[in-house]
Amino acid sequence: MLAIAAVALLVLQSYLLSLLFADWLTALANGQSPTPTLLTSLLPALALCLLGRPLLHYGREQLSVQASQQVRLTLRQQLLQPIAAAGPGKSQYGTDGAISTKLLEQVDALDGFISRYYVQRYLVLVTPVIMALATAYYSLLAAAILLLTAPLVPMFMILLGNAAASASQKQFTELSRMGGRFLDLVRGIATLRQLNALDRASNSVAHAAERYRDSSMRVLKMAFLSGAVLEFFSALAIALLALYLGLGLLGILPWAKGEIPVPYQGALFILLLAPEFYAPLRQLGSDYHAKALAEAAITELQPILLQQAWQHNGNQPLSFAAAPAIHINQLSIAGAEGRQRLAPLSIAIAAGERIALQGPSGCGKSSVLDALLGFTPYQGEIWLNQQALSEVNLPQWQAKLGYMAQQSRFIAASIAENLRLAMPAATDEQLKQVLHQVELWPLLSRLPLGLDTLLGERGLGLSGGQLQRLALAQLLLRDAPIWLLDEPAAHLDGATAYRLHQLIGRLSLGKTVIIVSHQLHGLDWLDQVIQLPEGGNLLRQGGANARA
Amino acid sequence: MHAPEPIRLRSLMTSRRGAWSLALLLGFVTFVAVVTLLALSGWFISAAALAGLVSLGVGFDYFRPAAMIRLCAIGRTAGRYAERLSSHYAALGLLKDLRVSRFQLMAQSKTAKHHSADDLQRLVSDIDLLDLFPLKVVAPWLSAILLSALLLLFWALLANSLLLAAIPLLIAALIVPLLGLSTAVKLSRQQADTAAQRRQALLEPLSLLANLVLWQRWQQQLQRFNQADRQLLTLQQRQQQLINRTVLLQHCLLGLSALLLLWQGGAALAQGQLKVPLLLAALLVLWALYEILTPLCHSVVALGLSLAARDRLNQLAGPTAAQTSGPVPTGPFKLAASQLTARQPNAIVGPHKISFTLSSGQLLFINGVSGAGKSTLLQALAGELPYRGELSLNGWPLSHWQLNHSIGYLPQQPDLFDLTLAQNLRLGAPDASDSELWQVLDDVALKTWAQQQPQQLDTLLGEYGAAVSGGQGRRIALARLLLTKRPILLLDEPFAGLDNLTAQQVAKVLQQRQQSGLLIIVSHQQLQLNHSTTLTLSEQ
Repeated sequence: MLAIAAVALLVLQSYLLSLLFADWLTALANGQSPTPTLLTSLLPALALCLLGRPLLHYGREQLSVQASQQVRLTLRQQLLQPIAAAGPGKSQYGTDGAISTKLLEQVDALDGFISRYYVQRYLVLVTPVIMALATAYYSLLAAAILLLTAPLVPMFMILLGNAAASASQKQFTELSRMGGRFLDLVRGIATLRQLNALDRASNSVAHAAERYRDSSMRVLKMAFLSGAVLEFFSALAIALLALYLGLGLLGILPWAKGEIPVPYQGALFILLLAPEFYAPLRQLGSDYHAKALAEAAITELQPILLQQAWQHNGNQPLSFAAAPAIHINQLSIAGAEGRQRLAPLSIAIAAGERIALQGPSGCGKSSVLDALLGFTPYQGEIWLNQQALSEVNLPQWQAKLGYMAQQSRFIAASIAENLRLAMPAATDEQLKQVLHQVELWPLLSRLPLGLDTLLGERGLGLSGGQLQRLALAQLLLRDAPIWLLDEPAAHLDGATAYRLHQLIGRLSLGKTVIIVSHQLHGLDWLDQVIQLPEGGNLLRQGGANARA
Repeated sequence: MHAPEPIRLRSLMTSRRGAWSLALLLGFVTFVAVVTLLALSGWFISAAALAGLVSLGVGFDYFRPAAMIRLCAIGRTAGRYAERLSSHYAALGLLKDLRVSRFQLMAQSKTAKHHSADDLQRLVSDIDLLDLFPLKVVAPWLSAILLSALLLLFWALLANSLLLAAIPLLIAALIVPLLGLSTAVKLSRQQADTAAQRRQALLEPLSLLANLVLWQRWQQQLQRFNQADRQLLTLQQRQQQLINRTVLLQHCLLGLSALLLLWQGGAALAQGQLKVPLLLAALLVLWALYEILTPLCHSVVALGLSLAARDRLNQLAGPTAAQTSGPVPTGPFKLAASQLTARQPNAIVGPHKISFTLSSGQLLFINGVSGAGKSTLLQALAGELPYRGELSLNGWPLSHWQLNHSIGYLPQQPDLFDLTLAQNLRLGAPDASDSELWQVLDDVALKTWAQQQPQQLDTLLGEYGAAVSGGQGRRIALARLLLTKRPILLLDEPFAGLDNLTAQQVAKVLQQRQQSGLLIIVSHQQLQLNHSTTLTLSEQ
């Protein structure tokens, strides 16, 4: 609306100016001296136009910025929902780094599209129509010139734009490939230095950049051509109009000798409007890359947005407090593209029983945990004592669970703060007690800052085994009756894995435990080991201690 | 390689002066064509109308202006096309220079290996930001100043009275963008910092997502991110507002300038000092200037962004590694450690008071549970970590020797590059023949694997070597290291993913290769080998 008002002001401004100059010119032609009377009367209106347009433009920009910000804020919240609902399954959207790039940079890449391109799209239709109508009032031919060239512009834009879009897509890929090469080499700089291969690597950087420049120059030539076409038409139309109007005023047009088809005032009016006629088109052309960027971003975001945030609808309060029995009946989980993440599986776990799930990678061991955690939809039934998992209140159920992954992560804060993430109300005494239980206290008590020692990025300073034991301390603070452990020792060497497994055995007495593990080293305390073969058949073995 | 130097914005354009000058010249020509096309057209129809009113076109030379108009139309099109091409050619060249020079700088910096992947990602995008300076700051200002000067000259030639009124406003319009300069630069810096905070605030809860959801702390942990996000958006909004306000002010000034021009021009017309067509031309020139002056308002933000990028890039350049000099050690070798203690940065524990001696042909096997400091000890031996205690080679402290070509260290996470297998291996020995590559692959028990690959030696190792498993990757790096033929080898868990028998075989080959050198292997596997000493580290 503001933009259209600005266009109207522009038409008015051009009209006033043409009136003024026509008055002066006629006066001059009649041998009189031009008088400033008309100027004085027109001055307020002209001032309104000249100052009003920037104001309207300002208002429009402000609104666009606000709209774009609102959209981006909402979109980010929308994207976070399916990610949070997927739990450990978030890895289907990429690494944490990739997810954050999507959420941050890719969403921000929509800015130009929302704040500029979106409005400009309408403007590009409305503005030329208004102007062509105004022009047609004075000269049909001039309006025809404008209108004939105008559709050519979008037509060429589409023709060239398609080529340019795919070309700029290619260039984008090239760029990221060159960036990747550079990044790859910089990451390995220590190794390259070791190998005395730095000079060769820096040559490789130079080569990659050189190749990128050559290839992208070829691409850019094409992309700029679309700009040149726009430029050409607008310049051509102005030149054509000027010549037609000028020669017409001289009365020497070949088809209308001795006539003046458009009087001076009309001619000037048309000429003043002509450059503005193409302005929105040209603006659209230069905002085109905003659209390309946004399209690329949307393609990246699509998989997350299309993921129907899965809803757990149960609302029954939990009917147990101690470790429950878990009965899994014909549980199967569908994966992406119709693949099956888990073939139908039935297991019965008694209250306080501790079992391991084993099987080749890809057989869906972790998916069973995901389903129990409430992070993935499933077919079949899961019974907790006499309650179906799908019927219970999810937060209440999740509060009963202790979960541990292959590598536990910690925030860059003190040990105490990390532990209190699990249980905000825990006292220092309680923290010391759980640290004692996981056999970390003798070590941590020697630290000058004790519990307030900062854990660095990714818990720098503690070994992998110590970090897993710290995670175990978090579980102990929660005092959850059910533990779901996903290969907690996968990244540890034999002796350390053994020690962690034994520790888990001592600390999980009385809890219902499902541990997914490759190796049974140190898991002699299990009641049952369940083998998941790739195809679905279930092999059941006795407890590990029974076998021994 | 030359000494590293901080990036200065003003030196960005010195390296490719020719290309930049051409781009600037073309840009200027284009703008002149834009301005002239409008002004000339206006003058032409006014003059034609005047001539037509007086005596229908007789004696009016319309050929020359008509030709000029066509020339300007073509000049504008061709000029803009050529200008874009040449400026981008120069900008891409600049990016190439920057990448190479930054790479060399980081190569010489001792701290480079501590940068996280995020830092490096930022480095790449920061380099990309630097081309904003010549493209969006220097070029628009040069064009704007030159064209404004031309315009003033034109007005002055027409009538002095025009100048008196309009000049101050025009100059003001030129100066207005500078008013926001310090704010824009400050906002850009704040934005960069907030963006980094925002990323951190998202990454942290994301890495503990599952547990945070179970503990019902996810929303609460996300608050910091939401806050940072809002803060960043506010900063962006303020920046946009700054631009919008400067544009508003500038255009109002230009509008006033146009009004004054008309006022003064009207007076000049009345006195017969000025012709109507020329006054119109003067006004149209001012019109065209809108397009040229508006980018100046955006240029301050571009300046702020490139300044912030420059600062971050200069920060990344750490202190230069000390140039190693001194004699190259020759065999037979004798490595002696006494009371050696080392720590990872921020680490609580690590190897404590370790002593051993090792002579040529011997193998030192370092054993122990994880967390006992095996890798730390090896890093200290490789000279990658500071240590306390004494460490000597052939009777001299390590610092006495130049060890670039003597010590080969295989870290626990060796870097494989996004190149083919052969290219990765040849980083160790550029001139190695294919049969040498196969031999060394055989030595590290990878020959069968490589033969199974459809592309054999030309197998791409994927981004960051992701296409191979951890153990394989480590052995590819080991093969690469073996190709460098270093007399002293320090290997961290080279047998990961191998069964005991194969590990034993590989260890035997390594021993044979290092008969006249030193070999230290860290492993948690127990191997039976001759001529070896075992050092067992225990967790404190």
